Amino acid sequence: MPLLLLGVATMAFLLSNFVKGDPLASILNERQMDNPQVVAAAKARWGLDKPIPERYAIYLANLAQGDLGVSFRTKRPVMRDLLDRLPATLELVFAAMVFGSVAGTAIGVVAAHWRNGPIDHGARLVALIGSSVPVFWSSLIALYIFSVKLAWVPGPGRLDAALAAPPPVTGFYTVDALIAGDWGTFLNALSYLVLPAIMLGWAVMGIISRMIRASMLDVMQQDFIMTARAKGAGTWRILLRHALRNAMVPALTIIGFSFAYLVTGAILTETVFSWPGIGSYAVNAARSLDHPAIIGVTLLGALAFLIANLATDIAYVFANPRIRLS
Amino acid sequence: MAPEIRRKPRPGSALGLLAAAAVTTLALAVPSQAQAQGDTIVIARDTDFNTLDPSRSWCDSCQIYLTAVYDQLVRIGKDNETLEPRLASEWSVSDDGKTYSFTLDPKATFSDGSPVEAGDVAFSLMRLKTLKAGASFLADGIESIDTPDAKTVVVHLAAPDPEFLGKVSSPYGAIVNADLVKEHGGTAGPDADKTDQGEAWLLENSAGSGAYVLESYRPDDELRLAANPNYWREAPAAGAIVMREVQDAVSQMQMLQSGGADIAMQIDPDTAETVGSPDVVTELVPSFNFVYIALSPGAKDLEVPLGPKVREAIGLAIDYDGLLEVTTGGAADLIASPVPTGFPGTKDLPMPAQDVDKARALLAEAGLGDGFTLVAAYPETNIYGVDLTIMMQKVQQDLAKVNIDVKLEPVTFAVWRERVGGDHIPLTAVYYAPDYYGSGQYANYFGMVPESPWYGRAGGETAEGLANGRMAELLEEVRTAAPEDAAELYHEMALEMIADRVIIPLVNPKLVLAYRKGIEGVRYAVCCNLPLEELSKQ
Amino acid sequence: MAATSAFRLRLRTPAFLGTALPMALGLAFIAFWVAAALTVQFWPLDPPLDMVAGRLKPPSAEHWLGTDALGRDVLSRTLHGASFSIPIAIVVVLAAALIGGLLGAVSGFFGGFAGAAVMRLVDITLAFPPILLAMAVAASLGPGLENAAIAMIVVWWPLYARLMRAQVLEVREREHVEAAMAAGAGPLRVLFLHVLPLCWTPVLVNATMDFGQVVLLAASLSFIGLGATPPTPEWGAMIADGAKYFYHWWIAFGPGLAILLVVLGFNFVGDGLRDLLDPRTD
Repeated sequence: MPLLLLGVATMAFLLSNFVKGDPLASILNERQMDNPQVVAAAKARWGLDKPIPERYAIYLANLAQGDLGVSFRTKRPVMRDLLDRLPATLELVFAAMVFGSVAGTAIGVVAAHWRNGPIDHGARLVALIGSSVPVFWSSLIALYIFSVKLAWVPGPGRLDAALAAPPPVTGFYTVDALIAGDWGTFLNALSYLVLPAIMLGWAVMGIISRMIRASMLDVMQQDFIMTARAKGAGTWRILLRHALRNAMVPALTIIGFSFAYLVTGAILTETVFSWPGIGSYAVNAARSLDHPAIIGVTLLGALAFLIANLATDIAYVFANPRIRLS
Repeated sequence: MAPEIRRKPRPGSALGLLAAAAVTTLALAVPSQAQAQGDTIVIARDTDFNTLDPSRSWCDSCQIYLTAVYDQLVRIGKDNETLEPRLASEWSVSDDGKTYSFTLDPKATFSDGSPVEAGDVAFSLMRLKTLKAGASFLADGIESIDTPDAKTVVVHLAAPDPEFLGKVSSPYGAIVNADLVKEHGGTAGPDADKTDQGEAWLLENSAGSGAYVLESYRPDDELRLAANPNYWREAPAAGAIVMREVQDAVSQMQMLQSGGADIAMQIDPDTAETVGSPDVVTELVPSFNFVYIALSPGAKDLEVPLGPKVREAIGLAIDYDGLLEVTTGGAADLIASPVPTGFPGTKDLPMPAQDVDKARALLAEAGLGDGFTLVAAYPETNIYGVDLTIMMQKVQQDLAKVNIDVKLEPVTFAVWRERVGGDHIPLTAVYYAPDYYGSGQYANYFGMVPESPWYGRAGGETAEGLANGRMAELLEEVRTAAPEDAAELYHEMALEMIADRVIIPLVNPKLVLAYRKGIEGVRYAVCCNLPLEELSKQ
Repeated sequence: MAATSAFRLRLRTPAFLGTALPMALGLAFIAFWVAAALTVQFWPLDPPLDMVAGRLKPPSAEHWLGTDALGRDVLSRTLHGASFSIPIAIVVVLAAALIGGLLGAVSGFFGGFAGAAVMRLVDITLAFPPILLAMAVAASLGPGLENAAIAMIVVWWPLYARLMRAQVLEVREREHVEAAMAAGAGPLRVLFLHVLPLCWTPVLVNATMDFGQVVLLAASLSFIGLGATPPTPEWGAMIADGAKYFYHWWIAFGPGLAILLVVLGFNFVGDGLRDLLDPRTD
């Protein structure tokens, strides 16, 4: 594990330091780029005048203390930028998961109940489209239809510009507004959250609906259910309970796998919706060759991935004690 | 735990509930969008902040921020031409042009109530120089600054500079509260570029005497300003200003229409035309920005030498009017020389015109009637409403008519900088927005004299005959010329730059001012793009 | 076996239509876009790089998907986009499968230090979220479709390496392989003649499924600005252009729909295959 972390850190460093183009491009303006004094001062300030091995050593030493350097673009510590923006992304991802799970379960149940009917096929099509459609495109179309044409939701952003963000407790504007008892801000933040969460959660909804449907059908065919139905007893309660329990293990797989999808999707969705989270930070960093930020985001992503995989593995053991970790 | 289900539930009910909840939420939420607080003005802008530290900043958005939150010694007035007193109520220049004396306005105070003193001015201007960051060249000419008393500042220049006042009036000449900045790690000493630590604090706090103070700044999100309670001049009309990061013109327009924003700053003429609304006012005004192409006779990748006749031919082959149409839908002006129309010396300069026959003749003379290939690498960007790729494709089409085959290579800014400074690029495109009000910046940047950046990029050391002796003479003369004569000298310099045919300005895009009805005071100012203290809302 | 009888059973049920129809549709989509990729330059379309009409014109009879900011026909550019996106996907998947497969096979068959090193590299690469890694690689290489392809290959090969290695480890233990080794055949010969032929099926299946994902990733990179450069009519780049003018919805509509159809095609086929082999649904 430590070797893995070192390897990850090294790879991130290599990616950012063997780059085409003037590394000072995002630091120095065109007017001064020919001024040797100014160039030298900038290089010294950002540590770019040192040889690569020395930079690597400094990088690792800082990393061990949790110091990811200063962003070339925002001029603030990268760690601070990331922590600042993490809640926004988490709020979006969480909302997407909630939407995906709730809507997916509902659709899965309906599809199972009326299987092979038009609803079932429709649900399947919607699910397939959800995992095939480029999320940045569907977001644009959705924005156009629901924000521009129908004005059902406000445009890109997280909150009305005229409103101040609620006092930070979790960093989730919706939750914090509720905690502060500010109903107006809560509704406003929710209205901005709805569309991106739906677009991001669409694919997850699709997968979950398929899985719930399969699970329901599985349970429906089992003997004790057939018996209960023959007896006419209230089978839905039992059906749902068993189906959901049946679905637990595959659900964990899905959640783990969805995480990867959601990270990818969040990057693109945040860009389209101007959501000030880590995704849009990563895109800005990549576009402007902000090395420390690129490294920071990549490392954070890797860390999140590792934690998610670990958590899923652990959850598997608890969910099904018969599975042994090899 | 699963709820007790008394009767057979309809599976659709869960969905129905969800849908109902969603619709109710949205219905309740949307109306609050339109009611912004009466006292707050929201500006939608694709902010390009590189920092909020005046002595390190360099960007268009920075100019807006710095002039709202800080004062300069002098400032360009509403006519976009005349210098007016700001922190300095009086000033004078010595006969040899090397010493400037300023008397500070006794009423001037910082936002914390302390008076603006000579020490603050000296600190701020020296820090601009010693940090060796974005705008340091504006203060490079300063040798030393004396502060004989609290309200008198004497600046000694190394050489006479008739544009010194213009430079000092730029937003980057902001005067900071030296005590506060020093307290938080700022320094103006000779090695400040290594020891200064003030930037971090200045990213969260302002230490100025301007109409507003910084309330909060979240990069890529928003910048919030609150009215300065101790402002020493007339209080601004708007109690708070929010600059919201919105990257594309269409979203900005949307926010304007819905009331989410009061002013939008990057609406392009297309969007302005297509998306009308009775609540939104759009005006086209001329700007001082321009986009230009540059030829480099000393570039490495040249197939044939780019002598003066060949360069003239290239200039004549371009369909200038068509180019304005393609890039901005006609919302732009022609520009004669690499000095923006309206700056000193630009009156009655000859506008460029297309002459394809003459171009062909000149090329034939040079033995290039059959044409040649030209590599054109340029930064891939959309600036002031002009998409450089679209512009270069039109240039490519125009030059094809005289048998010049242009190979377009859009690159990132980082790669462009390496190439233009290193091997140099045969044909490239880039833009210029004024740093301060004065023509000298253009002469010194674009003139073919050994110290100018573009002389180097054009390959002046290797290509023959590029150095323009007359230009060097003129630049020397203007240093000691009287202000009335300076305009004439700049006029001649502009003509020389046109004749050099290294820099060929193409588009002087108009700016779209877009704001909601009821917002007053929106204007394009050469000082700072948008003077926030003049804004008000009915 | 249960699967076979279920399969036979299902051929007679109306549910079969639910499976066969989408699959056929999927194959049709794929066939159309591959044909486009190969032959679009011969189709009677407006030239994709030239200004053919006024800028930003909405869909009409002459221009079914309207024109973009440079007056170019959107339909033509969308169809031409296939000639970039499809070949890139093929190149990336092939390269990733070959490189990954080879490295994984060698690692699984020979083991040792080199084998372990390869797997450590696989672990490290897989630790990163794919899009972030692709972005970082593409950012350091610079813009351009070729660089985006390299970035995607870097991201994808570890999956095949792991897959192939698992397969090789299993097959390596089989009797006929041991027999071949005992008979004195050189290890490379054994690897290529006896082991690999039994291992490539899952890799192939995965590769086929992955095409759609690669098309998506390529478009995503171009959308961000790290892939295709203008004026290339690549789908992701076109959507990015369309985003700047999204009131003129048709500019982004064409390329987005194209991506959707391609990926949907592969997903239909994959879904159908899975349905046919999985006795649990119905």
